Amino acid sequence: MRARILALCTPLALALAAPGSAFALNINEDYKPQNEFRLDPWINIEIGGIDLSINKAVFYVTVACLLTIVTMILVARKMAAGSALARPSRVQTVVEGYYGLIQNITQGNMSGAMVRRWFPFLATVFLFIWFSNMLGYLPLPTNTEHKVDIFGAQIPSFALFAATANISVPLVLTFIVVGSYHFEGIRAKGPVKYLKGWVPQGVEGPAAVPIFFIEVISHFVRIVSLSVRLFANILAGHLLILFMGGGLVILLNLSIVGSVVLGLVTGTMAVAFFIFEVGLVATLQAFIFTTLAAIYLGGAVAEEH
Amino acid sequence: MDLHLISEIAQSGVTPEIAQEYGRKAGKAIALGIGAGLGTIGPGIGVGYIFGKVIESVTRQPEMKDEITSIQWLGFALTEAIVFYAFIFGLIAFFLG
Repeated sequence: MRARILALCTPLALALAAPGSAFALNINEDYKPQNEFRLDPWINIEIGGIDLSINKAVFYVTVACLLTIVTMILVARKMAAGSALARPSRVQTVVEGYYGLIQNITQGNMSGAMVRRWFPFLATVFLFIWFSNMLGYLPLPTNTEHKVDIFGAQIPSFALFAATANISVPLVLTFIVVGSYHFEGIRAKGPVKYLKGWVPQGVEGPAAVPIFFIEVISHFVRIVSLSVRLFANILAGHLLILFMGGGLVILLNLSIVGSVVLGLVTGTMAVAFFIFEVGLVATLQAFIFTTLAAIYLGGAVAEEH
Repeated sequence: MDLHLISEIAQSGVTPEIAQEYGRKAGKAIALGIGAGLGTIGPGIGVGYIFGKVIESVTRQPEMKDEITSIQWLGFALTEAIVFYAFIFGLIAFFLG
């Protein structure tokens, strides 16, 4: 107990004992936090003026894709082989939980035929986003800007990055979702009836015109909100971890005493944010994206608005 | 900060260009701070409201707990994302402005 009080009081005592100059502002101009998210090409590929270079983000997307494919194939094989067993294995319990979650999402928001058609897509989107998010919290040797010398080998330093922390990946997923639900709506009702369905029932005559335009805007806002929600959540989480886990100490460039005090405070917060991000945000964002996709798909074919 | 510092700045050889550069940096920092800070107020109220309502509903109808929990996380994530809209636009102003 006494040791704990002592440990809690140490930063406070250091802060009080430190001279004012220890907290003098002397911003470190050499440190650029935005470079953490810059994409340097690893292999330059340029076809017809379009930059198709392999970089950090491409690496992360590929790993997330491979993980999604490999886990699903392995799980499918294991499930097929283990179905004869009387007692469900641990893998089966996890997979059944996952299946139940996607079933809840789809059946809660879509009707029978739509569930059968879109279940595989939504299940894959969920798993892909979940893997991308979770990969983002594993420090991988991907920072080629700063290399670490280990026994003569130049190894890139460890960095946190996620495919979903770049706007392109969520934006492409959003375009797929938005394209699909417009397509489904037009296929189910025909183009004219589908567009008429945007106006709520009961609104008739000239009043329907402004309502229709508001609906058109809302369909564009869906693109922004769906992609930016995922992207901003992951990016902000990464920035918080980056700044709390040392970035702020380097940026402010305080004296040793000031750095220790600041480091103790922000380091503790970094652990808390890390647990929050891994435990809640990564899974929750995958869940939200899938749920909203299901709601949009279900809403496009629904009879009444 | 005291007035002594202002007179010191006035006497030192700060050219208008340097002063302008400092002003630009200060403006960007203020934009990020105020923008992101004000952006947290609304979602903060919203998230509190959601969880308050969830507690209220679960105490009123405990048998609905499972259904309410899944809707609760949907509402939480939708509201919480608004903080990050403000934050991202603040960052855009800070780094790209």
